[in-house]
Amino acid sequence: MIRHVRHWLALVVSVVVALSAGTSFAVCNQSSVSQADSDLWATHGCWKDFFLWQYQAYNFSSDNWGNRGWNDACNDNLEYPKAWNAAFLTTYGLLDNNDQSFHGTTDYRQLAEAPDSNFKDSVYYDATDATNIFGSFTYHWPGDDEITFSCNLFNANVLNANPASRSGDSMHEGWHGWLTEGNWDNGSAGGHRPCTKHPDGTCTNGACTINGCDYFYFHGIGAYAFGALWQTDGTAKRFHSPNQVQVEYLCDVSDQPQPWVPASVRQVAAADAAQRSAQRFINGPGYVCGSPRPWN
Amino acid sequence: MNSELSRPRLPLSGLIAGALIVLSAFATVAQENPKNNPPKLQLNGPAPGAAPPLSDPKRPAGESVPAFVAWASRSGIKQNDQVRRTIAAARNDSAIATELCREIGEQQKTDFSRTLITLSVLGELRNGEGEKCLITFLHQPFPKEGTVANGEIVEQTSLGVLEGKAVDGLAYAHTDTGDREVLQAAGSHPSRIVRAEAINAYLWNHHDSPAARATLLKVVRTDERTFLDRPRLEPGMSRDEFNRKLAVYARLHPAPRPVKRSPHKLLLTESVADGEAPTPSPIPSATAPQAKQESR
Repeated sequence: MIRHVRHWLALVVSVVVALSAGTSFAVCNQSSVSQADSDLWATHGCWKDFFLWQYQAYNFSSDNWGNRGWNDACNDNLEYPKAWNAAFLTTYGLLDNNDQSFHGTTDYRQLAEAPDSNFKDSVYYDATDATNIFGSFTYHWPGDDEITFSCNLFNANVLNANPASRSGDSMHEGWHGWLTEGNWDNGSAGGHRPCTKHPDGTCTNGACTINGCDYFYFHGIGAYAFGALWQTDGTAKRFHSPNQVQVEYLCDVSDQPQPWVPASVRQVAAADAAQRSAQRFINGPGYVCGSPRPWN
Repeated sequence: MNSELSRPRLPLSGLIAGALIVLSAFATVAQENPKNNPPKLQLNGPAPGAAPPLSDPKRPAGESVPAFVAWASRSGIKQNDQVRRTIAAARNDSAIATELCREIGEQQKTDFSRTLITLSVLGELRNGEGEKCLITFLHQPFPKEGTVANGEIVEQTSLGVLEGKAVDGLAYAHTDTGDREVLQAAGSHPSRIVRAEAINAYLWNHHDSPAARATLLKVVRTDERTFLDRPRLEPGMSRDEFNRKLAVYARLHPAPRPVKRSPHKLLLTESVADGEAPTPSPIPSATAPQAKQESR
């Protein structure tokens, strides 16, 4: 009798554990990969030396990515391979053209990678199944700050599920780290300025039409030496907002890439920059990069 | 007396100096540690190869179109002219336009970046059947609800960007019907992304002429006239020219001085940017990622 009870108890415990594991192990769409991800992937063909460097440089861990391709790092349907594919773009994909690029690889790498730097405190990366965000930044004390990627950066039907937008999100969230470290107040709507709702259902703040607005602190090309993106003089003449850094990065991917960066990656970068420029800036809209010619 | 008082300071200052030397040595080692640097770039994947013809008398459009789009999607920025020439050679082949249109409809719900690239090819084609397809694409019902992420409706943004690419094709066609659709979109499309792209594309395709501005001013919403003045960073534009245009624009659209947060410990709500992130413990990974044998 006692043995029967034990068996039943074991069964119940197993079912409960399995159910709870099933809940916490829900994952993004793991059966699709975007054309842009596939095209970039084809340039390196799953480069083991790179992902063995990347997971340390970005502070990824099996605890956070275990059920998202950690042990299947060459399967580009899964989230971790897609994440390191985006890191590959940031690490090698930019031309660093003094006459045309807004910022350089050294800026974007320091902003995205994990270690403490002039840009921000140290961070680690994880992922969430939530679809009400693209990514997020969470300040922790003590300990590393946290950058979270959502399924919107992985599911191929979404605009942002490509290497350029994914790494662009690292820039955006990393810049929240810069704002936090510098004690800058960028607004109360998730670290951005809120919009005001109108009776017709629209929500605006100046030229911004999204609840999560930034200022564009316009600066010309060459205003910042490569490596100096983190600098500010505390005025609007030398300052950046998260959406601005993201647009500048996306424009550099679109217009100043290495010759091997695929057209699909460049075109989604330009498209993401354009929609962000049109919608998210209070004193905007921001400038446009690239050409409106269909094949650009 | 004085020398007695100073005695304990000697070993202390020595200890501090020693510690500083050790720390600086560690810092130097850390900077020079090759583990901090990514591996030297290796492009292991096969190069895209020669362009397959888009219109191929030996193959049906159902075969030549996906083969060409896949090649073009992977092509680099230096191959832009080759892509455009190959597309231009297929201009009079309406079967190509029909097949591109069919594939756009098929891919739209599953792969954003593939759809964007296919729309680019169709727009660049400047074919009459293609124009009809772009017009139909532009007039799809615009979603009013959907997945809200960081203040935007994901489905709206994705469709808006794709319809913006359709507008690029219609503007590039330089036909009466194409221009009429572009002007209508510039003034009254429900998406700001599409309106902004229509303005940009119409201006670019009319060489930013005063006449084009005057035509647009008749249809553009009053609160969006500023979209006509946006600087455009185009391929081949000099840095000085862009900076000059940007400086004029920035004077008209100033950002206020950034503000510091009042000094206090960050509230929980202030510690998260762009949403509520989950907070798993940042435990360093004990294991490295690995590729499965059977993975690609």
